[in-house]
Amino acid sequence: MDQITSSLAPSRNAVKSTATGSSGDGPGSVTKRLSNELMTLLMSSSPGISAFPKNDSNLFEWAGTIEGAPGTIYGGLAFRISISFPSNYPYSAPTIKFETPCYHPNVDINGGAICLDILQDKWSAVYSVQTVLLSLQSLLGEPNNASPLNPDAANLWGNPEAFKVQLMKHYRPLDGSA
Amino acid sequence: MVSNAVRAQVAAKWQDSFARLNRSEPGISGLMAFSDAWTLATEFLKPCDLNDLKSRRQYDMRRVRMAFDTINKCRRLPVMMEVFLEDLHKSQHLIAREVESHMNLYSGNSDPEIVRALIFRLVEWYNAWKPPAELGQTIISAYTLAFQTHLFSILPASFAKGIKSLVAATLLGTVSQSSDQRDSALWLAFDTLSLIERYETLITSVGYEYVESHVHETCAGAWSEPMLPKLRSWMLEKIVPWMIWPFARGATNAEEAKTMMQGVGSRFDFHMHKRLCDLRTKEIFDIIVDFPDSVPALHDLKECLQRVDQRAELVQSLRRANRKRLLHPGADTKDILLQYVSTIKCLRIVDPPGVLLFKVADPIRRYLRERPDTIRCIVASLVGDGESGDSLIDDNEPIHPLQQPEAENYADPEWTPEPVDAGPDFRANKTSDIISTLVSIYDSKDLFIKELQVLLAQRLLALKDGNLDRERRNVEILKIRFGEPALQVCEVMLRDMTDSRRIDQHVQSQKPSVMHPTIISRHFWPALEASDMVMPGQFHDLQEQYAKEFSAFKPDKVIRWHPHLGRIQLELELDDRTVEADVPPLEAAFIELFSEKDTWTVDELIERVGTVTRSAALKALGTWVDMRLLKEDSENVFRLLSVAEDVTEVAPPKLGMTSLRIYLLCSRYVIPAVGGEDLPPVISVQQQQAEQMRVYWKFIEGMLTNLGPLGLDRIQAMLKLARGYDRTIEQLGSFMEAAKREGLVTVKDGLWKLGK
Repeated sequence: MDQITSSLAPSRNAVKSTATGSSGDGPGSVTKRLSNELMTLLMSSSPGISAFPKNDSNLFEWAGTIEGAPGTIYGGLAFRISISFPSNYPYSAPTIKFETPCYHPNVDINGGAICLDILQDKWSAVYSVQTVLLSLQSLLGEPNNASPLNPDAANLWGNPEAFKVQLMKHYRPLDGSA
Repeated sequence: MVSNAVRAQVAAKWQDSFARLNRSEPGISGLMAFSDAWTLATEFLKPCDLNDLKSRRQYDMRRVRMAFDTINKCRRLPVMMEVFLEDLHKSQHLIAREVESHMNLYSGNSDPEIVRALIFRLVEWYNAWKPPAELGQTIISAYTLAFQTHLFSILPASFAKGIKSLVAATLLGTVSQSSDQRDSALWLAFDTLSLIERYETLITSVGYEYVESHVHETCAGAWSEPMLPKLRSWMLEKIVPWMIWPFARGATNAEEAKTMMQGVGSRFDFHMHKRLCDLRTKEIFDIIVDFPDSVPALHDLKECLQRVDQRAELVQSLRRANRKRLLHPGADTKDILLQYVSTIKCLRIVDPPGVLLFKVADPIRRYLRERPDTIRCIVASLVGDGESGDSLIDDNEPIHPLQQPEAENYADPEWTPEPVDAGPDFRANKTSDIISTLVSIYDSKDLFIKELQVLLAQRLLALKDGNLDRERRNVEILKIRFGEPALQVCEVMLRDMTDSRRIDQHVQSQKPSVMHPTIISRHFWPALEASDMVMPGQFHDLQEQYAKEFSAFKPDKVIRWHPHLGRIQLELELDDRTVEADVPPLEAAFIELFSEKDTWTVDELIERVGTVTRSAALKALGTWVDMRLLKEDSENVFRLLSVAEDVTEVAPPKLGMTSLRIYLLCSRYVIPAVGGEDLPPVISVQQQQAEQMRVYWKFIEGMLTNLGPLGLDRIQAMLKLARGYDRTIEQLGSFMEAAKREGLVTVKDGLWKLGK
């Protein structure tokens, strides 16, 4: 009997920590949240977005893939991104960078840094990996030319042919090995 | 050339011999007397032909004795004996002839009486040729030896058989207590001819065989009473008196006889135990089947096993029988379980430490583990499912919590080492609780808990009268066995049942409806069979209405219907008749559609109710065809018979289904009810596992998309992120192989990547 109750004890605690998760902290609840998000993301199978932890021991570093939405200039291209979660996630936004060079008004072509409001001051704990990835996907097709990180790209946006040439010049297809 | 010395020596010898034979009688009268005596004596001793009695002369025994005396004095007895044995040798053909003629007769009719006659006749010969006792023991024993040596050399092989049947006859005679007199003479004759020593093994084997056949006759199939005491007294009364003849002859009193028979007696006793043990070993499977009527036989077996070391044979025999008669696809799982439980009980009687049981049970347990419905059967018996294996559990047996296998407590003064023949993986099963043993077939009891939930769900959904007492009682019993936390989910399920009745009452009071849904909490119930069936017509309206009332009552809840589970009572009013029916929802949906128009094809029908399989649709239509409401005009086209078929008039196109009383079960997330018999409404554990594998596949897809090609061990490690992942890498490997066959992934140099 002891065995049963002791094996049950941790799960009871776990339930408690999700119940009080909004005020709770510590890596346990973050890990739990991250693994929940992973589950949701994988099971929802939204087209064109995907992410997965880089290794099984650290849930805070993920690799992701974003495909450009069909019909946009980025259609048919896939970009690798890296997602790094802070220890107080989801109270702070994850840090997301493009690993594949992305010629885009709001993306730093060298460092891969992204200028997206919900990743900075507009971050909220109700966002999730899935929503962030979806936002990024739509950002590809609809850049915010008002605050460009890549002014050249912002200037070129009005000229799709020239933009596409620049995009393809920088783009490197995913070779399948991260 | 003979020297004087030699000559003198021969003369001295001659003188010496002469002096001995003549015995210092005057002249050669001594020599003459010796000559006469010699002639008489050898003539007297010479073996005669018993069949030719006329040639036998009568001797004056006084003269014969004097002649022997004379010869003895001349110290010629050894020589005389040699002559006698020589004569004996010459006459042996007489005996050979006698033996031959008897044995020929015997091989003709195999009558042991002929052997008896032969033996008596041989004794006659023996006695007739026997030298008189005055000649001393040496000569007599020399004679006996020579006689027997020769006799044994001429006895044909069939004589052994004859002796055997003769001995068997005496045994039967002794047992039936007749012809005692004749037999005692026979045993004397045996003794005279030393046949007992020569044929001792044969005689013993006759006894053994008799014991064996007796054991078989009296004990085979007789399991309901203890046989050992009976057999013992039978041995004492019947066999021992017979054994006295061959094995305790010459005993003067009972005490002496007892000592003489000690060795052979214990051999017979052992033999009896062994035979009984062999018999019971052979019968063990049926004995177990007969349990508990066969308990006395088991006690017999236990006692026999203590005497005869046949435990290994017993295990072998039972394992063989189990393999042949139990562990094959033709046997019902319930029967296998029943037999297993009986085996447990039986072998506990035979061998309390449980070594035998452990050895026998292992193949059964392994086999049961492979059967998909084992858990279900055990669980069904756990809750005392009406029609099935109540007998697995004795109702009188107190209900215990499941026992965990515990480590040996060496501090226990009652501790005993494991039995000698226990294997290294032997686990003493100290518990006497059958259920614990059954549950321990599986490594974890979680499987049981899951299956319990599935079973409970099925039973709750199948409830028609809404009486939960029985299920509540079962859950309470199971709580004792598995502990309260394990059954929390079941508690919730029970609560859902009562809650939904309360909610229904409330909704009904707001707006009466013919629909009575069961409302269940999706997270606590086992996954229910999914279906996106849509109820047409008035059923749909009813659902809408109910949902509206429900959301007014519980605004925070959303109803998700499972319309395919449930039961509907309909009253169908047709042109010429009214039909009442209690049918599954699909049937009701179809007949509802027939109120729109009266001819439908199967494909049209299926289209209207959402996704149902064609076979299910045809089955549902078949129900109505059987009730003579529909008719299959041409293939897959059904027409409503608004007028019964035997009326010739063509049915008017108007359908008079004016009143439709519906009793519909439905729910917030699920509308559970009994599905078709061939489709369990609740997904079995196996299906759940397939469902889980689908989740794992999503994980694999995710990691291969984002991390690039991965090796199998890396995939296995990453899958740890998926909650509840418990597959081995081998299972994962075969899963990946399967995925490869479907073209989902490719593998190169041990690295897996997604197929394009």
